[in-house]
Amino acid sequence: MRGMETVPKIPTRERPAAPVQRPGKVGEDSVRVDGVPKVRGEFEYSSDLRMDGMLWGATLRSPHPHANIRSIDTSAAEAMPGVYAVLTHEDVPGRKVYGMEIPDQPVLAWEKIRYQGEPVAIVAADHPETARLALGKIHVEYEVLEPLADAEKAMKSDAPKLHLSGNVLRHVKIKHGDPEATADVVVTGEYEVGMQDQAFLGPESGLAVPDGEGGIDLHISTQWLHVDRDQVAESLDLPPSSVRLTLSGVGGAFGGREDLSMQIHSCMLALHTERPVKMVYNREESFYGHVHRHPAKMRFEHGATKDGELVYVRARMVLDGGAYASSSMAVCLNAATFAGGPYKVPNAEIDSYLVYTNNPPCGAMRGFGAVQACFAHESQMDKLAAELGLDPVEFRIQNAIEAGDTLPFGQKLPAPAPVAEILRRAKAMPMPEEKEVMGRDVRELPGGVSNVTHGEGVKRGVGYAVGIKNIGFSGGFDDYSTARVTLSIEDGEPLVRVHTAAAEVGQGLVTLQAQIAHTELGVESVAVLPADTRIGSAGSTSASRQSYVTGGAVKAACEAVRERLFERVRDEFGEDPNKLSIQDGNVVSGGSMIVSLDELLGSDEIEETVEYHHRETYPPDENGQGDVHLQYAFAAHRAVVEVDTELGLVRVVEISTAQDVGKVMNPQALEGQIEGGVAQGLGLALMEEIQMKDGKILNASFTDYLLPTILDMPPVKMEILELADPEAPYGLKGVGEPPTISSTPAIVAALRDATGRELRRVPVRPEQLVGIAERPPEQPPQPGSAGYAEIGRLDERIEQ
Amino acid sequence: MPGYERAAFTVELTVTPSESEKKPPKESLEAAKEMAGASGLAHEAGPDSILLAGERREVLEAAMKTIEAALDAGAREVTLKVEAEGDALRFGDGDER
Repeated sequence: MRGMETVPKIPTRERPAAPVQRPGKVGEDSVRVDGVPKVRGEFEYSSDLRMDGMLWGATLRSPHPHANIRSIDTSAAEAMPGVYAVLTHEDVPGRKVYGMEIPDQPVLAWEKIRYQGEPVAIVAADHPETARLALGKIHVEYEVLEPLADAEKAMKSDAPKLHLSGNVLRHVKIKHGDPEATADVVVTGEYEVGMQDQAFLGPESGLAVPDGEGGIDLHISTQWLHVDRDQVAESLDLPPSSVRLTLSGVGGAFGGREDLSMQIHSCMLALHTERPVKMVYNREESFYGHVHRHPAKMRFEHGATKDGELVYVRARMVLDGGAYASSSMAVCLNAATFAGGPYKVPNAEIDSYLVYTNNPPCGAMRGFGAVQACFAHESQMDKLAAELGLDPVEFRIQNAIEAGDTLPFGQKLPAPAPVAEILRRAKAMPMPEEKEVMGRDVRELPGGVSNVTHGEGVKRGVGYAVGIKNIGFSGGFDDYSTARVTLSIEDGEPLVRVHTAAAEVGQGLVTLQAQIAHTELGVESVAVLPADTRIGSAGSTSASRQSYVTGGAVKAACEAVRERLFERVRDEFGEDPNKLSIQDGNVVSGGSMIVSLDELLGSDEIEETVEYHHRETYPPDENGQGDVHLQYAFAAHRAVVEVDTELGLVRVVEISTAQDVGKVMNPQALEGQIEGGVAQGLGLALMEEIQMKDGKILNASFTDYLLPTILDMPPVKMEILELADPEAPYGLKGVGEPPTISSTPAIVAALRDATGRELRRVPVRPEQLVGIAERPPEQPPQPGSAGYAEIGRLDERIEQ
Repeated sequence: MPGYERAAFTVELTVTPSESEKKPPKESLEAAKEMAGASGLAHEAGPDSILLAGERREVLEAAMKTIEAALDAGAREVTLKVEAEGDALRFGDGDER
């Protein structure tokens, strides 16, 4: 039964506003234009979008991680009052699969279920609760199959094939130097990284609005508008020009919004019903609705001379990609290329495998393969230093890679590469005061106000780590961004408008673009238009790349506008363009004002659109050799921890970090990036893990998935190096990921120092710290009482 | 749909079984899936569709073998959609509306 008509057939939605900013110039502290509205609760996130008469979408998901679908009966749901549409795979107008690298993921499952939470049907109704009730009326008959939840087992030849060509999605092999190299001292280690969630605070949400002409406008929180658009268009069987995406308020991303979630679903429902359709996941559904960080099992062997020079690294890394490809191909490459760490190591043999299982799909997350590798190589460096009787920092410095050295995958490291310098600086920073533990305020002890220790059994430890990360897209991808800059006079004052498709996900890019415009055009008022697909692609907000690539595009577009402006001054006033500059809204030459912008432009405007491509990169050859990456960023961390060695509780006392950023663009934003990255690294070290059992998620809530809070965060001391990259705009380097990568192994090294235990797995659990077990039990206790192993409606779960 | 490591070339094959064939109607699809799967390049792309993704030459060779396997097993029709990454509709200049 259809609901009452309450809206016109062709609804419209106004474009979001572009507030005028008065930013500082590049290098100055600039208050973020979205900062105050966010703090006041006035910022419009995508989950706040609404239109009169809009419908609410909801998704029926498989409760089983591995099953065959025998039948789907939607008739009872379709008959419900208030339900406008119930759609299955048969209703997907175009390509029934999607995926950034390989389109292997069903828009809606037709026959096979490969992970718990896989979408099977979608509903649009006049109320969100009606939509959820309708999901309960859809009858799906499943043939439940044994899940293949272990990546090592999935690699075996007799394992059931989850995809037509088997379960190994990619194998990257790096062979460098002498494979038979021998060493005086050899250490081996096996390491594991658990499945971390991006844990962005704003769940997936969007609003799809049909245009009445067969096309669609989608307002969505995402990281990469154009790749979303192209995938949506393909599955809707529409030309890309009929699918327009506008970025709505994004509540964090960290890689988790790079793949599609409800984009195609909401558009299908909107086109089918000819009404706007809003979809918002709740927190539990969000855990099933996006990819996670790849869990990894890694075996490393390092050899060194007795004098402490690295001779070789041999590594085997198995990354669990879960059910679908997402961006796993690239994660596999990254893990392989960074297995050697930021060290001179002449011989390497590295195998990185990416494997399909019936676990949730894994993909992009801050650090992107380098996180797993860094935990392993840094653990090995400490082990090797101990075996050699060397100081772990001095040992790292001795082997630190330098500009011009060759990385294990054959690329010469470009300058600047201050690995030894950041290690020295991290070590030289003052240590935090060590107060007597007995009698301390309990808030300064592990366990805090839970009052579990008064200092008994508390030991302090210190650990170091250093990491390497590529900036920008690699392996031959044509990575670029597009910017349109318009200079005009508004209300008698010069105004610059900047338009890109670059996603602001909370990192401060909107303000950075305005700073660049102010710097290049000398105009204080800048409006950054909402990101959308009305302009060419800006690529993804990931890989720490947007300041470099979109920053470069905005800078280049501003330069093009300035050039045209100065040509005009030359033509009208006979001035040499090379001697002109813009100051306070006036064109000046040699300190003398030539003309005001107001007088020069009048009602005219100057507009330029520029694509900025970075230097070409290349895919690796069959031995994993090649100029694979564009730019490298480095950070070193020192962690100081205190451990209650009886209960396994931890207080991170302080994190110190030294990082080369090329150029500080906005000091306040940089500090935020570093502190946020450290928080995410601390989370992986100590608490953050999606707990899985037989392919099912056990802790799909922020009650059971533990996140660091302000109470867990220590002070972060930072030393920032500004060694300019001569190829990069302003000499900058991406800064978003390095703080996450080496903070985790630094904390674990400090825990080892405090406890003397090996600690081969992150997140480190209390039972590891007190020596009960090296890894969590195979059958972990089920947390909470809500039964999160079964998804569905809460009331149904409780009845079970 | 480019990604970081987007396959250079894809072929999507849709198999239509012969209605008059004595063999079970899904046999031609299964034969095609088996042959495609052996290439190491295959993924399911719909109830009757297979996607081959990789380098141009290997994808085309696998596609030819898959078509032959489907026809030998009684397929009435195999339709192809071929996409080369460099020529795909993507990263347009945007819609000015």
